[in-house]
Amino acid sequence: MGKIVGGFGVPHVLFDPDGVKDQADRIFDGLMRIRASIRKLDPSVLVLASNDHFNNFNLSLQAPFIVGVADDYVPLGDMGIPKKRFKGQREFAENFVRFAASKGFDLAQAEEISPDHGVALPLLLLNTEASIPVVPLYVNVGIDPPPSPTRSWALGHVLKEMVETARPAGERVVVIAAGGLSHWLCVPEEGRVNAEFDLDVIDKLVSGRGQDLSALTSDELRRQAGNGGLEITSWIFMAGCLPSASGEKIFYEPIPKWITGLGAVALQGQ
Amino acid sequence: MTKAPYCVHRMIQDLTANPDAAKRFNDDVEATFAAYGIAEPERKLLRDGSPKALQTLGVHPNLQMKYFKIRKAPNPGGGAAPLAYYLDKLKRGD
Repeated sequence: MGKIVGGFGVPHVLFDPDGVKDQADRIFDGLMRIRASIRKLDPSVLVLASNDHFNNFNLSLQAPFIVGVADDYVPLGDMGIPKKRFKGQREFAENFVRFAASKGFDLAQAEEISPDHGVALPLLLLNTEASIPVVPLYVNVGIDPPPSPTRSWALGHVLKEMVETARPAGERVVVIAAGGLSHWLCVPEEGRVNAEFDLDVIDKLVSGRGQDLSALTSDELRRQAGNGGLEITSWIFMAGCLPSASGEKIFYEPIPKWITGLGAVALQGQ
Repeated sequence: MTKAPYCVHRMIQDLTANPDAAKRFNDDVEATFAAYGIAEPERKLLRDGSPKALQTLGVHPNLQMKYFKIRKAPNPGGGAAPLAYYLDKLKRGD
């Protein structure tokens, strides 16, 4: 029996600090705190839930959840992210796909992906030496309809059940959700940040009420957090892996110049 | 909300994946529009290429950003993000 030893929600963008240096520094410092926490947890594998930005998956084939099952990955290199190879964990990923299939989730599998900033930026900051194997889970919120908060929460439960019942003793799993928070992208509302909603999401997560978020519809999430804020669906997956876990807000910074609110949380393993 | 015809999205996706095709597109946009069967009302908005025009056409937000890049237009969504500041901090171990 393994264990999910921690869960984290983080942004997957950083932009030019010019004009917002204090906020950028607080974000960076918070991410370094999370990196230290992850190292302390000594995980066997990182499951990283995020989304692609039409660099690997576009409208030609639209799958709601996609698991990276490859042995290793080389980042796409967008945003200037170094193309440093990192390890996958095929056996864990394929186990997840098979286990999920037995629980009503038919997950797509990807062998050939070049992760863009959605996956690669948080790994650059949190798994800098690429020492921990990674299983990317793409919560594909760029499609319509997107995977719902309800299904994402439930899929988190499936991962938790697999780790606790079908994995080797002593396996330690950290789940990271990357993306969000509220932002409106390439729509008339672009530039708006809904800090009140973002802070409510964070408060629910760190106070053990993440399940409340699973009741949101995707339409409501889009209305409150914008089309880009649908990335919060990945955070809801992470919370589903650690139901009723409490935690800590690491930071929240609304930055209209970056057209987004950026937050981070740490949830304790159970 | 309006959704652009798939031929528009397909063209942007293909041009994103193929830099040579993107260059040919910029040399002669009409030939590419014709190859993808894009009708005049959509062509007009694509020629305009502004955020408002692409939103009116209903181009997917992620593909709007790809189209700005193909057209070498300023990207109102943020564009390239210089990470040098953070990479330097990482290197220094701040």
